[in-house]
Amino acid sequence: MRLPQFTYHSPDTLEGVLALLDEHRDNAGVLAGGTDLLVRMKHRLAGPKVLVSLKHLDSLSYIKEMSGMLCIGAKTPIIDVIRSDRVKQQAPALVQACERIGAVSIQHYRGTIGGNILQDNRCIHYNQSQLHRSGRQPCHKDGGKICYARDEADRCNSTCQSDGATALMAMDAHLVLNSTRGEHRVALDGFYTTDGIHPFDMQPDELLTKIDIPVVPGAVSAYQRLSYRSAIDYPIVCAGIRLVPDQKDAGCIGSARIVVGAMSRSPLFLAKVSQSLAGVRFDDNTAFDRAGKDAMNAAATFAAHNAGADLAFRQAMVEKMVGRALEQAAAQVSMKIAR
Amino acid sequence: MTDYTLIGKRMPRMDSRAKVMGKALYTADLKLPGMLVGKILRSPHAHAKIVGIDTSKALALPGVKAVVTGADTEGVKWGVFAYTRDQQFIQTEKVRYIGDEVAGVAAVDEETALAALDFIHVEYEVLPAVFDPMTAMTTDAEPIHAEFPNNINIHVNIDTGSVDENFKKAYYIREDTFTAPEESYFHGEPYAVAARFDYDDCLEIWMPNGGPHMKSKPLSNAFKIPLHKVKVKKITIGGAFGGRSEICPADYICALLAKKTGRPVKIVFTREENTIGTRQGHAMITTHKTGVDKEGRVLARETTCYMDGGAYSSTGPIATSVPFLSMEQAYRMESVRYNGYRIYTNKPIRGMIRVHGRGFACGLDTQLDMIAQHLGIDPVEMRLRNSRQPGEFTSTGSQVWSCAMDETIKKAAAAANWQDKFGKLPPFHGIGIGTNSVQTGFPMGIRGGSQSFVKFNEDGEATVMSGVVDNGQGNENMLVQIAAEELGLLPEDIHLVSADTETTSSDPGSYSQVSTFVGGQAVKNAAANCRQKLFDVAAKILKADPGKLTAKNRMIYVTDDPKKAVSIKKTVRVALLNFTSVNAEGGYWPRVDMKREWVSNPYGQMCEAFSFGTTIIEVKVDPDTGQVTVLNAVACQDVGKALNPLVLEGQFEGSVAMGGQGGMLTEYHDWQEGRCLNPTMLEYKVPLACDMPEITGIIVESVDPRGPYGAKEAGMSIAMSAAQAYAGAVSNAIGVYMDSFPLTPDKIVAAIREKRQAGK
Repeated sequence: MRLPQFTYHSPDTLEGVLALLDEHRDNAGVLAGGTDLLVRMKHRLAGPKVLVSLKHLDSLSYIKEMSGMLCIGAKTPIIDVIRSDRVKQQAPALVQACERIGAVSIQHYRGTIGGNILQDNRCIHYNQSQLHRSGRQPCHKDGGKICYARDEADRCNSTCQSDGATALMAMDAHLVLNSTRGEHRVALDGFYTTDGIHPFDMQPDELLTKIDIPVVPGAVSAYQRLSYRSAIDYPIVCAGIRLVPDQKDAGCIGSARIVVGAMSRSPLFLAKVSQSLAGVRFDDNTAFDRAGKDAMNAAATFAAHNAGADLAFRQAMVEKMVGRALEQAAAQVSMKIAR
Repeated sequence: MTDYTLIGKRMPRMDSRAKVMGKALYTADLKLPGMLVGKILRSPHAHAKIVGIDTSKALALPGVKAVVTGADTEGVKWGVFAYTRDQQFIQTEKVRYIGDEVAGVAAVDEETALAALDFIHVEYEVLPAVFDPMTAMTTDAEPIHAEFPNNINIHVNIDTGSVDENFKKAYYIREDTFTAPEESYFHGEPYAVAARFDYDDCLEIWMPNGGPHMKSKPLSNAFKIPLHKVKVKKITIGGAFGGRSEICPADYICALLAKKTGRPVKIVFTREENTIGTRQGHAMITTHKTGVDKEGRVLARETTCYMDGGAYSSTGPIATSVPFLSMEQAYRMESVRYNGYRIYTNKPIRGMIRVHGRGFACGLDTQLDMIAQHLGIDPVEMRLRNSRQPGEFTSTGSQVWSCAMDETIKKAAAAANWQDKFGKLPPFHGIGIGTNSVQTGFPMGIRGGSQSFVKFNEDGEATVMSGVVDNGQGNENMLVQIAAEELGLLPEDIHLVSADTETTSSDPGSYSQVSTFVGGQAVKNAAANCRQKLFDVAAKILKADPGKLTAKNRMIYVTDDPKKAVSIKKTVRVALLNFTSVNAEGGYWPRVDMKREWVSNPYGQMCEAFSFGTTIIEVKVDPDTGQVTVLNAVACQDVGKALNPLVLEGQFEGSVAMGGQGGMLTEYHDWQEGRCLNPTMLEYKVPLACDMPEITGIIVESVDPRGPYGAKEAGMSIAMSAAQAYAGAVSNAIGVYMDSFPLTPDKIVAAIREKRQAGK
């Protein structure tokens, strides 16, 4: 299957990219690794008239620490994130998430961290060929008024299956967006619309350039996901966790961030369940189990039949993924103390 | 034991290098001068009347060279059997599944061809569709084919008698129902076909096939041209697994476009088209009722199976029979009654697949385990008490000449440490055994036999002509190995001309695991005849008895006095100078009961040989997430004689991957109103190399009296038994006998939860 026709640009500078995005706006598509965009183009789900390649923007590929932030350039290859000692130390959940993206070959040769965050929402009824989508009413995301993932739904129930975004939201990451109008910084948990058709609160002339992860002393993090295969598979449910020790009692959780992914239109930051862990001891597995159950109850209502697995099973697995990620993160604390 | 030079030796396949280096050319790689791109317009409806087709806009599009519809055809319907001709290559009256062929276009490039599809206006009148075979059989379901009431396509009934009486004698009886959904092959190579008509109006056509002669005949019928005018050409093939057995409507459409345009045309399927527009494995609902005596020996069995056949017959009568046959071969039963129904539904067409009837076979083995548990018998012992023995007849009357089933069970059990593990593993660890038997060649009528020619070139090298096709299983290497062994040449001295209808004789193709047994045997006979001619010439040169010569390493020598020798090259040259032919032919026709018929007379000698296999699998299950980790896999098969153990091990590994790891853990199709939701490699979970366990392969040789060098089928009874062993292992690990396959994590978690709740 061939790609539809498009004009191709590969500017040498960030300014050049932003100028093209400004000029072509909704008609432009940004090409980093292409692993998400090109497949959608082949399915005729996306048809940008202009493709703006980032291949010359090596300046957007870096991992560094600056003013209390772990900063990752948006075009940084997935493999660089996995191999970075800095990320391993400051944001282990992100390494765990990146290890599960695509397959080793995709991590090495194509996939970028920015591309993973900005991969479009998916649905097993939507990410299909033209033949599949013909002969039935188009769904919301395909320009119609029907949802095949959930009966009678008045809006799109696609799901965000980004491993990276789930882990990053747990770590309270911020995104930096650039355009010819300037720079704009946004918290990842405020970056999403509640619209499965256009999931990101982002203007068509904007480019994601940087991801900032706050470096919090003593913080631990973990990521868990479930899929049917060990690679080349999107998560059917996943969870990212960050735990920060109490400043007064290092054996207790001061603050927690629980994020559940692959369940809804965006990763779900479960504020209430997260708060319930404040003051809980790091070895209190009963509390973690309870948090897993609460997370399941909170997240399950968002789920729809949009991924290739039994819906009730996906919902039930929220509990296990959250519970396991919590235990795994907490175990890092005891290891740190042991050291 | 005969001392062979090449047979039985680990020989890297001669085709491997080109394949791994990307140099082998497949149909999609073909580029012919002036070639056009063909595309097929497929039905977007599961069931609809075609009211009208308007192709004028598509034809007006610049770059479009031809559009064909059912109106351009001779109206010939395809069916594997005279009584199953139900499929037009391009539909004229109605469409019966999403993907049914409605029109074809040929254009200068793919973009234009795709655009042309959008410009073909088809007016449909949508009909009620049925997707569930049980619903399809009800009287108010819309008939999919008018001539088949209740949508019952095929009914196979086998009854050996005394079933009811024997149930009365039984000590213990169980009846259980098992289900499994459809599955797909996921060949490495998506389907593709290239065709052109030459200066003499001969059709030259390239495509992956399970037997070139099985393609040429239906094409000659469809075009109403003589058989010699259809030249199915040889091309590298990337997998078949039963899914390349028949003519594909695309073959005809491509040829029709080539005829209409006078230019070569190539159609390359998308992965989705390969999934929905070729063949799939049948979904099945199987009920086994088994009665045993106190020792667990099967006295009576009654099996009823409903198979979801999809929109057309395909290999229906065979497909409806084979799951039963495999089990009647593997296990003795005093009496049996089988009713197999293949039902039409508005889903893609189902045909043969490597593990045909996973729900059927896994159900039968699961039930054996249940009975064994009830009677307090170890599953391995349970199988030994019911296993097929050499010399016996199967329930439907096939004599089994060679059989080492017991040896496979015992060797596999020993290698897997069964005794130390069964019943002694920690919680959520389990071990399971499966045994199965697969046919080596069933009656194929006029194309059941194979003939081969061997000719010598003046440099002492030989050309071997054989109709055998290689789908990736190593058939070409097998032929070369046999020819070189028989002729006393090195493998590199053999030039193989194969799988081409113009230059090679009729051959059954790679159906029913028959290539080595029939095609290999034909080459063996031809080469032996050729060697005899060489010996006659060499005997004169060496002044020796032609009956006391040996050919080896390019030399012919007196067996008892190896110093008296002449090179094969010199022998050939002497023969040519003396006007003596050293070319020869040979053939092989399996001695099967030609009166046996799938539906009308399912009794008699089914095939000449049967393979027997045992697989044992050990697993660990995560009770929280239902994820299964395979800790150990032992595959042991009676192959008759291992011609090339290296290839055989590869077959074992592929079999465990397809039959067990994929077939029993992750692979199934998901549907929404006849729309396949997972037609591509992303959503259909074929296992990855990194997900595979280590596999111990054990070869058992019963040396079949009729097989070439004693060889039988290789690998298939591992694919089947692996599925059964996976089912047994998971059931053993979680303490619940599973009756719905594949064993996906959601089912495993649900089973564990139900068991816990029941225990409370």
